Amino acid sequence: MKQESHTKNQLIPTSHLLGSGTAACSGCGALADIKLFYEILGEKTIFVNAAGCMTLLTVYPFTPFRGSWIYTAMASAPAGAQGVRDALDLLLQKGRIQPEEDLQVVVLTGDGSANGMGLSATSGAMERGLDFIYICYDNEGYGNTGHQFSAATPHGAATATSKGISGYQGYKKDLFAIWAAHKPSYLATVAGADPLDMARKIKKAKDLSGPRMFIAQAPCPTGWHFDPSLTVAIGKMAIQTGVWPLKEYENGTVTHTRLPKPQGKRPLVEEYLKMQGRFSHLFAPERNDKLLAEIQNRVDAYWQNL
Amino acid sequence: MRRLLTGNGAAAWGVRLAGAEYIPAFPITPQTEIIETISRWIGDGEFDARMVTMDSEHSMITAAGTAAATGVRVFSATSSQGLLYAMEMLYTVAGWRAPFVLVNVSRALSSPITLEPDHNDVLAARDSGFLQIHCATCQEVVDCLLLAYRLGEDERVRLPVIVNLDGYYLSFTREPVELPEEEVVRRFLPACDLQTAPIRAGDPVSQGVAVLGGSQYSYFRYETHAADRNGLTVFKEITREFARLTGRSYPAVEEYRAEDADIVFFMIGSFSTKAKAAIDCMRAEGQRVGLVRPRLLRPFPDEDIVKALQGKKGVAVLDQNISFGKGGILYAELASALYNADGRPEVLVSFIGGLGGRDISREEFFEMAKVTTRAAESGQIPAPRMLYTREELAQMHGLQAIAAAEMNTREEK
Amino acid sequence: MLRIRFHGRGGQGMKTASRILGSAFFLAGYEVQDAPRYGAERRGAPMFAYVRADKEIIYERGIISRPDLVVVADDSLLSLPVAGVAAGITPHSLLLIHSNHSPEDLQKKLALPCSILVLTAVPAGISCAAAASQLLGISWQIFKQAMEMELAALSEQQLTENKLAARNAYEQMAATNQQVVEQEEPDYSSANPPHWIELPFEDATISAPAIHGTATSLHMDTGSWRTLRPVINQERCSRCGLCHTYCPDGAINNDENGYPRIDYTHCKGCLICLVQCPLHAIESVPEQSPSYSNQQEEKQCADS
Repeated sequence: MKQESHTKNQLIPTSHLLGSGTAACSGCGALADIKLFYEILGEKTIFVNAAGCMTLLTVYPFTPFRGSWIYTAMASAPAGAQGVRDALDLLLQKGRIQPEEDLQVVVLTGDGSANGMGLSATSGAMERGLDFIYICYDNEGYGNTGHQFSAATPHGAATATSKGISGYQGYKKDLFAIWAAHKPSYLATVAGADPLDMARKIKKAKDLSGPRMFIAQAPCPTGWHFDPSLTVAIGKMAIQTGVWPLKEYENGTVTHTRLPKPQGKRPLVEEYLKMQGRFSHLFAPERNDKLLAEIQNRVDAYWQNL
Repeated sequence: MRRLLTGNGAAAWGVRLAGAEYIPAFPITPQTEIIETISRWIGDGEFDARMVTMDSEHSMITAAGTAAATGVRVFSATSSQGLLYAMEMLYTVAGWRAPFVLVNVSRALSSPITLEPDHNDVLAARDSGFLQIHCATCQEVVDCLLLAYRLGEDERVRLPVIVNLDGYYLSFTREPVELPEEEVVRRFLPACDLQTAPIRAGDPVSQGVAVLGGSQYSYFRYETHAADRNGLTVFKEITREFARLTGRSYPAVEEYRAEDADIVFFMIGSFSTKAKAAIDCMRAEGQRVGLVRPRLLRPFPDEDIVKALQGKKGVAVLDQNISFGKGGILYAELASALYNADGRPEVLVSFIGGLGGRDISREEFFEMAKVTTRAAESGQIPAPRMLYTREELAQMHGLQAIAAAEMNTREEK
Repeated sequence: MLRIRFHGRGGQGMKTASRILGSAFFLAGYEVQDAPRYGAERRGAPMFAYVRADKEIIYERGIISRPDLVVVADDSLLSLPVAGVAAGITPHSLLLIHSNHSPEDLQKKLALPCSILVLTAVPAGISCAAAASQLLGISWQIFKQAMEMELAALSEQQLTENKLAARNAYEQMAATNQQVVEQEEPDYSSANPPHWIELPFEDATISAPAIHGTATSLHMDTGSWRTLRPVINQERCSRCGLCHTYCPDGAINNDENGYPRIDYTHCKGCLICLVQCPLHAIESVPEQSPSYSNQQEEKQCADS
């Protein structure tokens, strides 16, 4: 009788392909994302990594990967993917490797690289139609250096470099729109807190070719200041409050794969904000109603404008 | 068969003959003609290679490194600001121990921005782990490209190599070049051997990983140094073989009329042939003057240089570069190589010239020889000399007057 | 010169403890050097910090290789070679461990040549700072001043609580009548030379920073980061698989019947599984120096 609930999650393979024992923080949301990607993409992959938290996935002589991995630099992981893909194509074409020796090329960067210095290389890779998968784990700041704000930091968040009473003054860059403007084969936002949605999107991308882009929500206990046990709970709340839209882009069309409840029925964004130390200045010593309203209105406006 | 080729054309031919398979590229003057030529050949079906124009030199070197690590023969080219833009990746890919060849067409660095050559660009890559071969003629360019692949791919080295040629003086200058026969090239440089560097399914590798702690770091870094130093032995072997096959000999250190010379010029690059012209002229009047030119700058051929300079009265070191706050880079490198050597030259005199493509006249070569001779005789070493004339300064002041006049006009408005 | 090394985990307050001690020495008129040292690993992972204090100008730098006092925030670090707690300990060193075990038990287990003191006052960070200050002869007055300097960001109430904890630790140490003794450094003529070698050239296939093995991270015992241990009540488990799916570290595996089993060697103790378990079938229990107590249990079994 319990068999039914046991199989509910059957969409998600259970091989734990990514090895345990990495140096990622306890409760790391990005690691959970990568774990699921790896389970579905499999070991016939090469991860091309940019500088970021995940630089330290491999520290000599330890690697969690069963396939390959190469570390490039903060700005040029997509260019590194280009070199590997082109070289593999040449080797295949010349018969120097067999088709079963081919690899899926996967770029792995944080939001700092994706939104900032890596954007040029990413744009180039998409415009050339590079056959690759790009995973941006979005922890909304420069996590590996102690969580300074990045172009993906949400408005009002306190980071190591935006500690004032209003937090970060900028607005989270719309990387999805920037990437969509390049008309990639596939583009999706995902969240580790919704593994079924995420697994479906990864499987879909796996069977396509060309640039396949992912922005993966990565709640960060260390940088967002919450207890590591709440990583998934916070991810879920971001989806329910409408802060983190789950969507995909294909053939010029954007589809939302999960819709939060209508305005008035869904929880307020502050339910999400309250869970995290990086927003605590919005609630104490005094409640910042103006900023809270602004944040709420921006989220509501997003869903109204759909 | 001899034909007229520019330095850039010779570089392109070297790439074609070497059988490079993959060419990540990015345009920059004065290198662009190389990738334009290659692109035309690929388009016409004359050359079977894949060229990809990247978004920057930083991306270009990244792609070059990952492709080399995946096991194909890679070529790329740049100049000046492009080399500096790629600098982070030069150091990084060298650490992967994935060999490929990069041509740098030397062009002086900004600021001020200019198109003409000196060596501050390539010398900025001096400590990156790339081996460096410096060419003085268009013939050398094509031959050194082939040598560079053999050198870098040798299992005792396994490092990327820069082949340097001077912008304008070689890049856009046509000279007769003897292209090696294709079958000779194949004998010298066999097709790329995948077994040396594969990234593929079934043979997983995690490349370029982090280390924790200085001990591990020291090991990996020193191993790169040791491999680089092995380049000296390998270069000797392969140039001997190349000479047998083509009749053209490329010792790591070129000596011109140096054996019985009292005074020698020590310099790199294409201006060294200007020195030769001046030397011939001086020799005709009985002056015992010669030239010692390192062709290989990394690894630094200390021993050969020490031998070539043994017993000389004076060395005129001509740096086409300037390390701000110190002076000539070659001067410092040479001094360190000679300090503990027996029979080292009595004096080293430092000259800095040819910055940003400024010409060096024959009279200036004569004068450098004279200054060095006087220094050797008197034991009085003159301060480093920048080659710059009274007339140039007067001209400069004229230009400054115009620049200032323009500013004054603006202020009057 | 006095040389003090603090060992703890990221988040246990040992960096602050070292700074309080550094400031205390400074206020007492010493020349001081203090610095934390982190590896790549994060919250919960072993770290250390060190303090040097001298009446003369300090020229030494970096890691302390022969400590006079070693302060350990968490006895689970003792069995972790990577934490390096025992590094350079001599018969003159004093080892102060924050632990519920007795000094005799620890002494028996560790077999180190030095004296061991045990500190029980909580929280570990501030208690360690106060205890170390007492052992180093720093007056309570100066310690209090240093603590106020370093904890200026805390609220009045937090500060009072910290002071209370510190006072307990300070007095606990006073009762031991122990004092840290400065050690002699090896002199020039009797020092052992380093075993330098000519580093040989090795083939690029081994001498490049590349890993050819797969999933070698499994060698990393990240279970030692844990302060709370998730325990699954198999009776209540419905085998829904959510804990397994959400575990970022892949530290929950299904057994042949589909029941989740926690890999305690790698579980970092984030407790996402506990929060997400729909049937509340997972609880957490405080980690009592896991490897250490395991070893003790094994030893007891062997003894009996």
